[in-house]
Amino acid sequence: MDLAKYRTLFLEEATEHLAEIGQALLVLEKDARAGEALDTVFRLMHSMKGMGASLGYDAVSLLAHRLEDRLGEWRGHGGVDDPGGVALLFRGLESLERMVAHVRETADAPPADLALLAELGIPEPAKKAQRLP
Amino acid sequence: MSIRVLVADDARFMRKLIREIIEPEGFEVVGEAADGRAAVEEFTKLQPDLVTMDIVMPKRSGIDAVKEILALDPTAKVAMVSALGQEALVMEALQAGASDYIVKPFKPEAVIATLRKIAEKDA
Repeated sequence: MDLAKYRTLFLEEATEHLAEIGQALLVLEKDARAGEALDTVFRLMHSMKGMGASLGYDAVSLLAHRLEDRLGEWRGHGGVDDPGGVALLFRGLESLERMVAHVRETADAPPADLALLAELGIPEPAKKAQRLP
Repeated sequence: MSIRVLVADDARFMRKLIREIIEPEGFEVVGEAADGRAAVEEFTKLQPDLVTMDIVMPKRSGIDAVKEILALDPTAKVAMVSALGQEALVMEALQAGASDYIVKPFKPEAVIATLRKIAEKDA
């Protein structure tokens, strides 16, 4: 199966998703407990993760996965309860926008945003693995 | 005769990918749904042989949709579509009666094998 032919569909849908995430983040910026906006961002990050992974854009799926995890925690808390949490989401959005632009311009997989990934931290399974003797 | 499939996923990209993987292998995608509510409606209307059901969808989650579909038709065959980190949700769906699951990113051979196994079960 030639996945390259799905690049155009990825670009179209990812661009729509990121625009919708941007709108939802503007709502969260005003009200960090806006449940519907938080659900929307969570769901669209989940989609970005799946689409990125399907085309081998690991940078996209990894960042979307980390952000999805963080969003899942906030959903459990009833809202974005970290100071700077919404700003972090905006940075994630900008990073994903750069990655999508990279795909559009070069047709290649984008590089990872290591700084942001480091800030988002190591995922739970990796932490557990590190604790093993 | 081809196996009639309803594909439920909120991402057009994923719906198209599933269609691309399964249609050359004897499956016919008879309908698509972009949210859990539409999945239940399309299931009722189309009566497909099996459903692929994404877990994270708007309006009604894939888990709620599978429960509703199985309440309508206890013999319905539903394959959950899961991603990394959704093991607990997959377990909940299987306990609710989902037949099996496929994992994103898709490995085409695994998707075909799983769907075929579900379709042939008690056929």
